[in-house]
Amino acid sequence: MEEDPKLVARFKKGDQHAFELLVRKHKMAVFNTIYSIMGNTQEADDIAQEVFLKVYTKAGSFRGESSFSTWLYRIVVNNCLDELRKRKNKIISYETEFNQEEKLKLKDILARREEDIIEDLRKKELQDIVQKAMNSLPEKDRIVLTLKEIEGLSYNEISQIMKISLGKVKIWLFRARQKLREKLSFLYREE
Amino acid sequence: MSCNKFRILLSAYLDQEIAKDEEKELFEHLKMCAGCARELEYLKQIRKIFLLKERKEPEEFFETRLFTRIKDKEKQPVWQAYLTAFKKSIFVVLIFILLVVGFLNYKKFSYQRRTEVISDLLIDGQVEENFEGEVLAIYYGPPR
Repeated sequence: MEEDPKLVARFKKGDQHAFELLVRKHKMAVFNTIYSIMGNTQEADDIAQEVFLKVYTKAGSFRGESSFSTWLYRIVVNNCLDELRKRKNKIISYETEFNQEEKLKLKDILARREEDIIEDLRKKELQDIVQKAMNSLPEKDRIVLTLKEIEGLSYNEISQIMKISLGKVKIWLFRARQKLREKLSFLYREE
Repeated sequence: MSCNKFRILLSAYLDQEIAKDEEKELFEHLKMCAGCARELEYLKQIRKIFLLKERKEPEEFFETRLFTRIKDKEKQPVWQAYLTAFKKSIFVVLIFILLVVGFLNYKKFSYQRRTEVISDLLIDGQVEENFEGEVLAIYYGPPR
């Protein structure tokens, strides 16, 4: 697949097909990042549409000072933060507590080796449980953990996307993991 | 260095975002501190949870829906696009204009009212003068 800078340059010159290729290339990353932060597929779909609409209308202002994907993730994070701000006025409750069965399933599967976990067919059943753990965290922690653990971005990329220093990225990730560790304390506690 | 500092380093170590000298220092500490060594194992265990996460597909016809929206947006007249983009700013400007117009009208109205009251008083003064003239005429006859 063609590289982002070339596609962006072509799109800026009016090539619509280049934009279609950009969407096709990045839609999964955009959708999954938003889903991990927002915790709801319908909402993730709506925001992802808004993100690409913004890319379409604002591509002219992209000067290439950062990579296209960094710019794209920044739009994603900003749109998620806007929606989360709006959400504060609404009453939306997500299930964040694990039941006994979920705890046992998680404990069982996470006791395996990494390679075995990746191959495990029960992964599909556990999707909601993972999202439950994410939903239990404050928004800032969800964002940094998503960018690091789900999207596999470097500290440098995260600092550019969130416009914070590298030191802050380090501390925020540490704190987010501490909170997740507290939430999942049953994994290493005898029950 | 305190354990707290090493705990932050543990998180960075997991992400392979740690400097060589820091890594060396961390390993030295882990040899001596059972608490931090245990913490590293917990973090590794918890991190595995993200291996379970599978990438989801967006809702059906994502691209078709997006390109339809883009086409609709392009068909939109320019003024409508501006209206949507600057909805909030337009609202603020309208409120400001309403406030200014309201203030100016209030000032004008209060000035008018004051003038009316003064002229009322003047008219009343004249009525009083006429009345006085009429009374004098009754007593002393019409003025010559």
